[in-house]
Amino acid sequence: MTHAMVKGIVATAVGFSMAGAVAQATELSVWAWDPNFNVAIMNEAGERYTAMHSDVTVKVEDTAKDSLEQKLHTSLASGMTKTLPDIVLIEDYNAQKYLQAYPGAFAAMEKVVDYSSFAPYKVDVMTIGDSVYGIPFDTGVTGMYYRTDILADAGFTAEDLQDITWERFIEIGKVVKEKTGKEMLGNDPNDPGLIRVMMQSAGSWYFDKDGNVDIKNNAALKESLELIRDMTKSGIARPTMGWSEWVGTVNSGQVASITTGVWITGSVKSNPDQSGLWAVAPTPRLTVEGATQTSNLGGSSWYVLNSSENKDAAIAFLNEIYTQDKEFYQKILVDRGAVGSYLGAGEGAAYQTEDAFFAGQKVYSDFSDWTAQIPKVNYGMYTYEADAALSAQLPALLQGTDVDTVLERIEQQLKNQIQ
Amino acid sequence: MSSSVSQQLSSAPENPKKKQGSHGSFHRFYDINGWTFVGGAVALVALFMIYPILNSLWLSLHSGRGIVTEFVGFGNITRLFNDPVFIKALSNTFIFLIIQVPAMILLSLALSSCLNTPNLRFRGLFRLAIFLPCVTSLVAYSILFKSMFSYEGIINASLLWTGIISDPIPWLTDPFWAKVTIILAITWRWTGYNMIFYLSAMQNIDKSIYEAARLEGVGAIKQFFYITVPLLKPVILFTTVMSTIGTLQLFDEVMNITQGGPADSTMTLSMYIYNLSFKFVPNFGYAATVSYVIVFFAAILALLQFKMAKDK
Repeated sequence: MTHAMVKGIVATAVGFSMAGAVAQATELSVWAWDPNFNVAIMNEAGERYTAMHSDVTVKVEDTAKDSLEQKLHTSLASGMTKTLPDIVLIEDYNAQKYLQAYPGAFAAMEKVVDYSSFAPYKVDVMTIGDSVYGIPFDTGVTGMYYRTDILADAGFTAEDLQDITWERFIEIGKVVKEKTGKEMLGNDPNDPGLIRVMMQSAGSWYFDKDGNVDIKNNAALKESLELIRDMTKSGIARPTMGWSEWVGTVNSGQVASITTGVWITGSVKSNPDQSGLWAVAPTPRLTVEGATQTSNLGGSSWYVLNSSENKDAAIAFLNEIYTQDKEFYQKILVDRGAVGSYLGAGEGAAYQTEDAFFAGQKVYSDFSDWTAQIPKVNYGMYTYEADAALSAQLPALLQGTDVDTVLERIEQQLKNQIQ
Repeated sequence: MSSSVSQQLSSAPENPKKKQGSHGSFHRFYDINGWTFVGGAVALVALFMIYPILNSLWLSLHSGRGIVTEFVGFGNITRLFNDPVFIKALSNTFIFLIIQVPAMILLSLALSSCLNTPNLRFRGLFRLAIFLPCVTSLVAYSILFKSMFSYEGIINASLLWTGIISDPIPWLTDPFWAKVTIILAITWRWTGYNMIFYLSAMQNIDKSIYEAARLEGVGAIKQFFYITVPLLKPVILFTTVMSTIGTLQLFDEVMNITQGGPADSTMTLSMYIYNLSFKFVPNFGYAATVSYVIVFFAAILALLQFKMAKDK
């Protein structure tokens, strides 16, 4: 009797494993970090794909960005690729770092994907030699979000905020502080994001087009540093620590504006009490040569792991949804405020939506226009090293050290760090 | 393998005792059994302790990006001396060490001495209150401190309310105050831990010594310095060594409260190792070199403390 039972169990087990092999249901695993943004969007993409290909499902694992990067680094460095997902989200500033530090880890897709349908600056980020890795996802096109009511209290209309310089921004901020007691913006001294926004708006970066360190004689960076110093000294910048405090200044109504990437839209809109009180104006500009009213901050792309057993299925999935499905881009724009770097997306009707939170302004149409004008720069692979070198010198700058000396020190530390 | 080793050992000709032939098989039996017993443990130690130590030493002789590395010999060590961030991290670590460890040791000595007074009421409650911080998770309490010390946090709010300060203190965004916050945090977390060691040691001191001192007319403060402290010397040494090593490896608090900022003012060696591996272009070889710096200083400081304790 026991023999029969064992036989039965074995037979059932074999049967199950055979059935599994026949059905060949593929589950694609994905790592992403923002449950309200890229995780939700990837889930939406998965559902759309499963509706058309019932044998493929997509499972997104929500991991904090820092832990995601840690896991990716340790798995790739140790060669233990079994724990890795099929698809992973990587921030654009980090893309070259992963591609160059772990050659062969990511799948090249230039033979399958038509990259001409994406914003060129995004494709550059994921190119090494002739190979292109990854599928471009969102852009971080920037704008100046501001509270119309607070600025009206200080005596400013929408026209006063259209196409302004950063110098004018500071002057306005001083009046706002004086009349309303509120700061113009929140600023995290550990996060030079705003400096990067200013720099890129003038087509400049920590590195030149060939990837050489360009700090000492960088006029755009110099002006950006002077502006940050003036903002802090004039008391129009409220000091914050970390992301949640920074966003908190906006949601609690402590500051009158926030200038950053379009992905902040969801966070700005998270306080329904402020509906109708917001507007978006073009990013303030620098006064150096080549200054524009558009810039970029962040943005990320999807990459397929070469070690993945489902590599081809993963590429087919990304290629079908992210490079062809215009409807998908309309949906993620309306639902999540995601402005894709897929150029065909901007033609859709959703981009003409009048958003009640922004008092009927067609914000996405504006962002879409600005996306096409983002100045192209070479991020290189050392953005975070440069950030660290810059942050280290900010207190000295605020205590009155000459800007040229500060730039000199940043350049030295950065060169040392990236040897 | 274990049997061949034991054979060599048992037939070692230098050992005169082994020449008593009749006992040879007995020794051999003991050796084989002994090695079988410790063999498993030795294998595990070799695999999980000795191999990683040797491998990281080998790693520290390499440099590069991720898995693209090359042999640089002592290149990483020369790089240490020219690396301003490393020097900053090292000096920060020592500032934490020099200010925090003595302050915490003195504080916990004083506290344990107070709590050891026999006629104190609610002793158990006070002990529990001071010991409780060290059962909290490092990450949880760090996040709590971060929110308490934020610009709008409860610390600033209460200081403003009592009128001690007129403007909020930028605890986390000013290089000086950020260091103060970290020192306050680790002192809060670890004082109770050290206090427990002192308390238990104090309870082992013979009460008749104090009685004799009292009869001789020695005051309480003199009793503390001339009886309690000398008799606690081995425990003080132990806690100092443990705290020193702990502070050298300081990571969780800095990672969660300030991320090493502002301006690297709270950057510690461990935080820098993290950045070199996970935030910057990964250079695991150089990160391994920095980790050996921690080993080096922990060893030196422990030796120094043992020496000082012996001399007295």
